[in-house]
Amino acid sequence: MEKTNFNQKTTHEKGRADWLRDVDAKPKTRIVWGTILVLAVLPFIISAPLAAEILIWGIFGLGFNLLLGYTGVLSFGHAAYFGLGAYCCGLALRYWHVSLWVALLLGVVASVLLACFIGALAIRRRGVYFAMISLAFGQMLYFLALSPLKHITRGEDGLTHIPVIHLFSFSLNKPLPLYYFVFVIMSGLLYLTFRILHSPFGKLLQAYRENEERARACGFNTTLVKFFSLVLSAFYAGLAGALNTIYLGYVPLTTLFWLTSGTMVMMTILGGKGTFLGPLVGVGVFLFLQNTISLFTPRWELFVGTIFVFIILLFPGGIMGTLREKYAGYQMSKLKKRSTLS
Amino acid sequence: MIFDVPWNVIVLQIFFGLALGSIYVLLASGLSIIYGLLDVVNFAHGTFAMLGAYAVFLAVSMADSFLVGLLSAIVIVGLIGGVTEYFLLKPLYGKDPLLPLLLTFGLSVAIPDLIKIIFGLIGKPVNYPEALSGATVVGPLILSNYRLFIIFFTLAIMISLWLFLKKSDLGMIIRASTRDSLMVQVLGVNVSRIWTIGFAIGIGLAALAGAISVPMMAATPDMGVDMTMVAFVVTVVGGLGSLGGAIVGGLFIGLVVAMTSFIAGEYATVSMYFCMAVILLIRPRGLFGEIGRE
Repeated sequence: MEKTNFNQKTTHEKGRADWLRDVDAKPKTRIVWGTILVLAVLPFIISAPLAAEILIWGIFGLGFNLLLGYTGVLSFGHAAYFGLGAYCCGLALRYWHVSLWVALLLGVVASVLLACFIGALAIRRRGVYFAMISLAFGQMLYFLALSPLKHITRGEDGLTHIPVIHLFSFSLNKPLPLYYFVFVIMSGLLYLTFRILHSPFGKLLQAYRENEERARACGFNTTLVKFFSLVLSAFYAGLAGALNTIYLGYVPLTTLFWLTSGTMVMMTILGGKGTFLGPLVGVGVFLFLQNTISLFTPRWELFVGTIFVFIILLFPGGIMGTLREKYAGYQMSKLKKRSTLS
Repeated sequence: MIFDVPWNVIVLQIFFGLALGSIYVLLASGLSIIYGLLDVVNFAHGTFAMLGAYAVFLAVSMADSFLVGLLSAIVIVGLIGGVTEYFLLKPLYGKDPLLPLLLTFGLSVAIPDLIKIIFGLIGKPVNYPEALSGATVVGPLILSNYRLFIIFFTLAIMISLWLFLKKSDLGMIIRASTRDSLMVQVLGVNVSRIWTIGFAIGIGLAALAGAISVPMMAATPDMGVDMTMVAFVVTVVGGLGSLGGAIVGGLFIGLVVAMTSFIAGEYATVSMYFCMAVILLIRPRGLFGEIGRE
């Protein structure tokens, strides 16, 4: 009699605690819809330029999180993809006067090709080695744009005189029209990311992160997994870079600088790597902090760097990671309480 | 076109390359010791080199002595390194191996800004020490004394580092911990303290590299990043965690940079990264890297 009761209780609880068995809780559909809803009204809550910036960097972050958070590969050279996307889009618009879509496509394709090249060279290197190599390649691109290719890229001044793009008679250098243009793209990318994480490929990324040897022993080509993860995140980065060009109307050289990669790393860690919303939250909080601190002092890097050090020491899970842990603990204690009560 | 150049000009370029390479050797050997011992890639390596440069600037402007500057760079910045390891890196061991790298990255963002607040944005130049200014004439060559000093100073430091690691008890323990820190701990050595000491030594070497490069290029808050990059490239070329690799890689990259800046100045910085890409293609673990450490 007692035994049957016990069995019933466990099956009942199993349904509730099902998600706890996953390494990571998979994002639910309602989270995607909720995010899209929040983003739809964001420019009316905070200033439109800040919102536009958050959205563009958010696209960059979504892709970066696939690589760092879900695959566990740290790249310190993502500015290369962001910057190359930005420069290719800008150069095509300035010299060839192509349409918006062609320029975006060129930027994305260039970044993806670069990722294929760097991936083929360096993807077999593990952990810290890959971080160093990607950083060095990123710097190589920066110095190429700085002086040997100065006649094309305009070196330190950045690429200027990019024509203003119009879409349905809205000019895209204004924050609000641009915001909703990027918003449409972002909604698509959120859905894409959601589908990737639910796909077998998404599981494979996490399998690689958790235990490379085991994933390989199961018969998967882990090098290929890592390679595609890198290419995929370069796709996001290139798109973000190209959109950044269209928004700003010029390409600053800093898009290729190592600090751009570093900022992305900080944003993702701050928000919580390996959580669906982490990069968006991280980008938002980081840009908000940066904007607020730079009102008082030009030395915002000191504060941001110090905050980052403390986050690494105290909350390595970032904002969303820590919240998720707390929530899991809360659910756990609720389950325990119920099992002792009944 | 290079064949039209008189040979003594080429020899002079090689001499410049060796002097530059010597600074790179100091930087990279520090990074290698730290990585070998702690498995930490120190992203703030160049930042500590920058602190060494400012230590020299302070010593020269206060005590008017370059030698005091070198000593204070290695001692004070080395101590700062040790304190950093003790308070900031120790809590991270045994967790995600990327966390120490990220933490040192945070330092490399924050510390230059602190220096900007204290010393201002503009670089601080330091004159060549009087005894080392001027040049020595060797046959048809005119070699600047300071660059000669850099080469011999680095040679002396590397020999004493080698003697320290090979002959002294502490050096032996450091080498043993690099190989298998658990076994060393089992034998009753406080490995945690060895890590702090090793980190301080590595940082001291970086500070020294920053310090001796000051008279050639002023101490600026943002010089650290370039030095970190150089250290990374050299260790990737030479092989991560190998002291011999750091020496050969450093001199090699120094020569490459000096020769390219002579032939095609614009490509001087790019050449170094290009070298790294080629080495990665033909020998992925670096010139002296161990198999399995790639």
